[in-house]
Amino acid sequence: MAADRAAAPAATRERPLASTRVLDLSGPFGAYAGRLLSDLGADVIRIVPPTGDPLADDPPVVATSTGPASAFQWFVNLGKQVVELDLARPGERELCEQLFASADVLLETWGPDPVEVGGWERADVEARFPGLVMVSITPFGLDGPRGRDAGTDLVTLASGGLLALGGYPDTSPIAPTGGQAMLAASIFGAVAAIFGLIARQADGRGRRLDVSAEEAVASALEDAIPQYDLTGRVRRRAGDVPREAGTGIFRCADGYVSMVAGRLGTAKAWRSLVGWLVEERAPGAEVLLGDDWQSFPFRQRPEAVAQFAQVFGPFASGRTKAQLYEEAQRRSIALAPVNEIPDVLDNPQLAARDFFVPIHVPELGRAIQFPGRPYRLSDDPPFRPRVSAGPGPAAAALLPESAPLRPADVPALSRPTTG
Amino acid sequence: MAGPFTGIRVLDYCWVGAGALVTKMLADHGADVIKVESRTRPDNLRLAPPYRPGTEGLEGSGYFASRNSSKRSFALNMAHPAAPDIARRLAVAASVVTSNFRPGVMERWGLGYRDLVAVDPSIIYLSMPMQGDDGPHRTYVGFGSTIAALSGLVASAGLPGRTPLGTGTHYPDHVPSPGHALVALLAALYDRSRTGRGRAIEVSQFESTVNVLGPAVVAYEASGEVEPRRGNRAPDMSPHAVLPAAGDDSWCAVVARDDHDWCTLCDVLGLPGLPEDPRFATLAERKRNENELERLLATATVTRSAAELARALQERGVPAAEVRTSGQLIDDEHLVARGFWRRFDHPVMGSIVVNRIPFISNLDDPGPLAAAPLLGEHTREIAQSLLDMSEAEYADHVAREVFV
Repeated sequence: MAADRAAAPAATRERPLASTRVLDLSGPFGAYAGRLLSDLGADVIRIVPPTGDPLADDPPVVATSTGPASAFQWFVNLGKQVVELDLARPGERELCEQLFASADVLLETWGPDPVEVGGWERADVEARFPGLVMVSITPFGLDGPRGRDAGTDLVTLASGGLLALGGYPDTSPIAPTGGQAMLAASIFGAVAAIFGLIARQADGRGRRLDVSAEEAVASALEDAIPQYDLTGRVRRRAGDVPREAGTGIFRCADGYVSMVAGRLGTAKAWRSLVGWLVEERAPGAEVLLGDDWQSFPFRQRPEAVAQFAQVFGPFASGRTKAQLYEEAQRRSIALAPVNEIPDVLDNPQLAARDFFVPIHVPELGRAIQFPGRPYRLSDDPPFRPRVSAGPGPAAAALLPESAPLRPADVPALSRPTTG
Repeated sequence: MAGPFTGIRVLDYCWVGAGALVTKMLADHGADVIKVESRTRPDNLRLAPPYRPGTEGLEGSGYFASRNSSKRSFALNMAHPAAPDIARRLAVAASVVTSNFRPGVMERWGLGYRDLVAVDPSIIYLSMPMQGDDGPHRTYVGFGSTIAALSGLVASAGLPGRTPLGTGTHYPDHVPSPGHALVALLAALYDRSRTGRGRAIEVSQFESTVNVLGPAVVAYEASGEVEPRRGNRAPDMSPHAVLPAAGDDSWCAVVARDDHDWCTLCDVLGLPGLPEDPRFATLAERKRNENELERLLATATVTRSAAELARALQERGVPAAEVRTSGQLIDDEHLVARGFWRRFDHPVMGSIVVNRIPFISNLDDPGPLAAAPLLGEHTREIAQSLLDMSEAEYADHVAREVFV
């Protein structure tokens, strides 16, 4: 924080999850959870089979000198140690068990059938490692009538209710992009992991936490649930048709802008917006000064929405995203550019805050910008994680000194470190 | 009933969106969250619909109730000269302070991190400014929807050639910002109980939301290419579509992860020749002929009920789901069986539904613990217990409109 940076000494301290070990055996629904825990200082060990990380094909996929690679994998594995273990080989399963014994948290996305980890079922792991905080991240949760259903990002967005709120009125519902249901499940997976650690501090007992991606999606429906509960009205997608004058996505000279002016205690913003349009002599703007237009219910009428668009549309189309953003914000109007990814990378606010972090990606042979962490902590050391290109240290090297099994006991485990 | 956060007290200045969901989670699991607002400046969300007909007003907002379960409400008029000192005393009685006000507001009241950490080094302080506490845009205003636009979430969703859409909601308020804030806040709570030391946490809602575009940012950095909008389609699976079903505005999401799913899908839909059709035999061919593929599938799905079709596909192992709306979710036997919804009797609104956090602990109460508070419902009890006020002193503060 600015104030802290100015006054605080350079001293930093350990991150909040230092000395906390996390085993990450998760697929795409849980992989970002381990990343978030790693960012907070946890020692995150990602265990993958010798055939490679199953995330390696997950989109977005980009070309590299060594073939296609997953940018999703790079992003979610940042800071993790990746360890290959073949649980079918003699000795390796025992090693895996010792890793379990050394861990505080286990992240897994196992299906309902107990096949993924050497034939273990969740209940076996729970019984053998009673102090473990075990986080299961699945599309629909571990029990209930649909607990065994197959889920993907799109399917959980549909069944959790967010898909119904997106899309144009004249098309099918359209989903948000980027794997949002999977990322939401992972974010709450990380919340669940620390929830479990805190609960364990009180009673010394491990926990089993059952995270449902569908429920993470169903937590994000804005006013749709209380609206149905209190009024019986079902909220559906509004798409590109604004619900009130002053709000919506509008075309401008070089793209689109998004604006909210007039609702939720922003009456001042509406007056400021009308003042701006009148000042700039936008054709038809004087109409908006009329008494009717001061009423929010009036501005919600379809005719008002259309009439406002006739004034604001031509005004915006003669100005760029950047011009509209700067001038609207000067007037305290909540307007923002609809940024493409390159615009985000060039954003002056993010640049001023040194948000992006250069990370060397071995497959590319160069450093590229990664988003910085989603929060800042006081007294925190600089964020300089490494991308895990392949298997890191031999698994046995990660065991505590007291572990009964050492690398020398299992020659197959003493693989060279390449990470 | 106790939860893992029992014994943690939070002085809460998180209003409206993202922040309120952070403190709801703490309150639902045992923390004593003291929400500060007043009749002179209520949380704006109290003024937002939906309302049950006949219960409009400050105590009737279903939107407010959905985000403020299990909290206590302390009606303190922060514009009164006596208020900041009272708030500082409450901050000392608490061990966590949260705010999503614009940078500078808490500091003006002497409630900034540096003010409070000087009194209590173990304080944990969460601020959730729109774009961060510093930088040239630190005072810029916005909502979840404008943050979604800034961060790239809007531009990527929709159809090519049409207005970009995003999620249709203020999504950053509901998952990225509260979720990332919770991750950091819980980690700070965990660490404090080991080390005795607190921290300041700043969540820029903009930066937090860029993280859920993280893979796209990294891909662009590697390739120099912006991915086009592509509706519901995916590069690595086909079909990956939302198809029409029987009935008004009824839809079913259908995904074939591989050729096996594709063959099973054709079987369930009664389209026996399709898997052998060279236009659709491989993923590459299905991607090339995706318009025609979706058109053919739609002719088969449009006569079937979305729920029945999704069930038939799931029984054969193919990922599918009805595109469900709010009413279907509240009544859904799976979510009900998992206890996702909890009903409370609210003194003004009557029976209301509130969701729990999206996970279940095998040993802890699922929460929420109580309905959202009335404005100032707990002012007297908080004044008398935490501020050691007598009944007369409390009444005096009411009369002077400090408590209002």
